[in-house]
Amino acid sequence: MNVRMRVGAFDLGIKLSVGREITVLYGNSGAGKTLTLEVLAGLLTPCEGRVEVNGQLVFDRESGVNVRPHRRQVGYVVQNYALFPHLTVRQNISYGISHLGKDERRSRINGSAEMLGLQGLLDRRPSQISGGQAQRVALARALARRPPVLLLDEPFASVDSAVRGALRHELRRLARDLGLSVLMVTHDLTEAYNVGDRLAIIDDGCILQEGPRHEVFDRPTTRRTAELLGVNNIIPGRVVVGDHECMHVVTDLGKVVAASGAATFSPGDKVCLAIRAEQVFLEDPGRPIRHRDNHFAVTIVDEAAFGFSHTLFARVESASPGAPHLEIQIPAHPYQVLGVPARRDWRIRIPPDAVHVVMG
Amino acid sequence: MVRPRMLTWSNLAVVIPGAILVALIAIPIGALIARGVSHGDVLAALRTPFATTALWLSLLTSGISVVVAVGLGTPAAYLLARRSFPGRSVIDTLIDLPIVLPPVVGGLALLVALGPRGAIGQPLHAIGVNVAFTTGAVIVAQIFVSAPFYVRSARAGFEGVDRRLEAVSATLGAGSWTTFRRVTIPMAMPALVGGAVMCWARALGEFGATIMFAGNLAGRTQTMPLAILEAIETDVDAALALAIILIVIAVGILTVFKGLAWIGRPIQ
Repeated sequence: MNVRMRVGAFDLGIKLSVGREITVLYGNSGAGKTLTLEVLAGLLTPCEGRVEVNGQLVFDRESGVNVRPHRRQVGYVVQNYALFPHLTVRQNISYGISHLGKDERRSRINGSAEMLGLQGLLDRRPSQISGGQAQRVALARALARRPPVLLLDEPFASVDSAVRGALRHELRRLARDLGLSVLMVTHDLTEAYNVGDRLAIIDDGCILQEGPRHEVFDRPTTRRTAELLGVNNIIPGRVVVGDHECMHVVTDLGKVVAASGAATFSPGDKVCLAIRAEQVFLEDPGRPIRHRDNHFAVTIVDEAAFGFSHTLFARVESASPGAPHLEIQIPAHPYQVLGVPARRDWRIRIPPDAVHVVMG
Repeated sequence: MVRPRMLTWSNLAVVIPGAILVALIAIPIGALIARGVSHGDVLAALRTPFATTALWLSLLTSGISVVVAVGLGTPAAYLLARRSFPGRSVIDTLIDLPIVLPPVVGGLALLVALGPRGAIGQPLHAIGVNVAFTTGAVIVAQIFVSAPFYVRSARAGFEGVDRRLEAVSATLGAGSWTTFRRVTIPMAMPALVGGAVMCWARALGEFGATIMFAGNLAGRTQTMPLAILEAIETDVDAALALAIILIVIAVGILTVFKGLAWIGRPIQ
């Protein structure tokens, strides 16, 4: 798809192609995720551009093509599912296949009920089933038509976190078994990472970055993508020595060696360093220094516990005054073994591989 | 558990005004029923041709009125709920007008438009069609007065239908007519039925517009309310009997209405 549209004061400009895999459209709320799905499903008409679904041209401003939603080969599971409350689960699932013969209909209903574990629920009403079950019914309803393309809007948002993991797994299995092209929208980073084969980052109506999930996750191209991908430490600086293998960047903290870059930068370029909090390692200052790594003396000024891990906020001693604190994430076990609660002065080690240089 | 004390001053301040209002409605109706039962014989009055004719005419005309109001009002309500078009608010106000207008004024307006010398009545008269002072006029007057009740309710019903359900229906291959039939109508059904019942009740009780536009002709335009007016001057017992019949029908309607509201209570 390649579309532009305007909804009120919001501009959406999306260029995206989705293959037979799960592409996750990840972004904050209000970024234009749902609008993108609605354009694909034909519920919204963009003001320019071109949309193809499964090789079929469904929208083209120039030639005036605009296929109505019910003629598009798209299954769409909206947020909170929107099951028909006046119909039973069985009737909901068969809603989109009423044109088929009775036997075919029954076999598809039974097939999807079996696939999604809905056997005992077929005669219940949507008000009598749980959120996770409603999610499966919505999926079964969309898939009963055997669409080649499936759009999912925050499919796990209103499901208990206990069943979420199982549902994610199930979705991946379904997509693989049925050879579906799935475009899933989420604002949950863990979910984006767990479910997606590919990741597309959307912000303010634009796709910032798109690619295989590891690549996008590990190698954000801009400061904004790094922020959206949950990189806690983003430090502005200037390149002093730069080649493809290794860059030296001067920052508020001091000189940092970086081995990963969104592009090749030259000396003098203004850049940002993206460093994940879990890739900053706490060390005893008495231990010998491995000279390849970045080392800084720090004082821990604040901390917060999140169950299995602790987040520490550290002031870097060599940093210029007013520089933001560095965020360090440390699992609960080393936190105890190292004796972090008892001591505030530490040394940190940041491997150059963990320092990713993005455009500033 | 502490039992709330019933007779505190603040309780009384709420209970007394409510009790007065209930009494204001209950006492006259109770008195009417008591008098009707003690003085006249309701069942005997019901067997007179005077009463049966009026009752039959009332049921026939109000029934036709409801069917017409639903047939014409449903698309109108849908358009008002869903589309924006120039003059929408004007039409909206216009449809509400008969609800606030005294029915006599409505009857007069109908007479001026459709009477023998009216703007539309005259050309119709010329080709031999007379509307005023016929059974047809009774139906037109009832529709004029009661259809807005249906349209209002139906409109609210359509507005209350979750648009996402319709969007989902479309992505499941349903065209707009199928979606309307299989999603919109069922979801709006409680409001449609409720509106139709209120519309019917209003048509059954129609008096002012009818007497203005259709007159009070026994067997042709004399519905129950008009028959009561005539009976009060000749046979008070018959009037009481007719009134009690109307009360019974009204209670029946309300019971059905409440029952439907319970059946159509929000499903989720």
